[in-house]
Amino acid sequence: MVFKVYGAWTVCTHRVLCVLKEKDVPYELTIIDFSVGEHKSPGFLAKQPYGQTPYIDDDGFILYESRAICHYIAMKYADRGPQLVPTELRADALYQQASSVEYSHFNEHAVAAATAVIYRPVYFNLPADPVAFDAAIGKLSAMFDVYDVTLGKQKYIAGDEFTLADIHHLPYMSILSVETGTNVIATKPNVDRWFKDISSRPSWKAVLEEQKLAQGK
Amino acid sequence: MVLKLYGSRRFACTRRVGVVLHEKKVPFEFIEVDWQNGEHKSPAYLDKQPFGQIPYIDDGGLILYESRAICAYIATKYPNQGTVLIPTQLKANALYLQAASIEVSQFNDPAEKAVLEVMKKRAQGKTPDKAVYDIHIARLRTILEVYDKILGKQRYLAGDDITLADLYHLPYGCALTDIGSSIMEEMPNVGRWFKDISSRPSWQKVKDGVTSTAKCSICPR
Repeated sequence: MVFKVYGAWTVCTHRVLCVLKEKDVPYELTIIDFSVGEHKSPGFLAKQPYGQTPYIDDDGFILYESRAICHYIAMKYADRGPQLVPTELRADALYQQASSVEYSHFNEHAVAAATAVIYRPVYFNLPADPVAFDAAIGKLSAMFDVYDVTLGKQKYIAGDEFTLADIHHLPYMSILSVETGTNVIATKPNVDRWFKDISSRPSWKAVLEEQKLAQGK
Repeated sequence: MVLKLYGSRRFACTRRVGVVLHEKKVPFEFIEVDWQNGEHKSPAYLDKQPFGQIPYIDDGGLILYESRAICAYIATKYPNQGTVLIPTQLKANALYLQAASIEVSQFNDPAEKAVLEVMKKRAQGKTPDKAVYDIHIARLRTILEVYDKILGKQRYLAGDDITLADLYHLPYGCALTDIGSSIMEEMPNVGRWFKDISSRPSWQKVKDGVTSTAKCSICPR
């Protein structure tokens, strides 16, 4: 039975689609209609009780939380495509560390920046908040100063191999770079090098292309 | 060489690592970081933990930070020692990661913010802002209502066996009780689950502060 993804054209679904494409796993994507509250319908909540996207249905196995889904796909299809999760203890520890930094620190500030100038006007009919945006970019700039040192010594965020930790960063790095008007990434040479590398991967380009086609742009 | 944990004995993230070290029966030396005098922002500290946060470990020269990454490392390094805390079977492992992800994405933020609103204000001799506190507790209640449904069908968050995902909730879950909230006891299944995990001997050993269980007598600080 084909792998089913229930999601939206947003960050968390992008993460999952990127990993599916890295592993060359065919899938069927169903877009959930937020405008009619489909994500809060009893049918949806029976699968994803927090009312969020995405979730997957892998032949009856239901899973939500994009990073958990990414890891499941990487482990299920460990025998094909790039090895996205290290198996050696020390490399795995550094991958866990990089993933945790993304999840507990990068994500919060990236969300704050995107909310301030994109989500407020687009989804909530509120004016953009340049003060909140500048504060979030300030926090990201400080984080990227640390990333810049790390990425001056190694190719990717967890070491010299590409891992899920890089993919987890991709959607918001892309939004920051392309949609918010900040040049914070470009001002950090190694972060900029890293971002150009990971965002030029065929899997990521294919995700953006699929979205473009689906939305008729 | 004994594992060294650099932290602050009562901090949530330090106790999160401490409970897992005890659960896995891994001896460790605990070194208190003098954060009140800015040690965590000193060049020597930033050389190990470049974000200037607490805790980090030094395990035979491997430096690791982020409490949940440290916990996962310990559980992975000692899979069959002490309690098994990470399932290895594919789907069970995925459900553990799902539960662990929810702890970070849904539970931690409102729990931490509610606790800090009260503790910081009290430490400053001020009155906590009830409106702010109530907003965080309301967010937390919505999440715990989902937990209650899940825990009505299974013993722990990822299934019928305890995992790291359950233990991650201990520091802020207990801190909520310490500041006078009854939210971890309000719902029958969440109450049952939280009483279970918070009465484990491993948590009893760190809940009032982490201390060394071994000493590395030949190693420099």
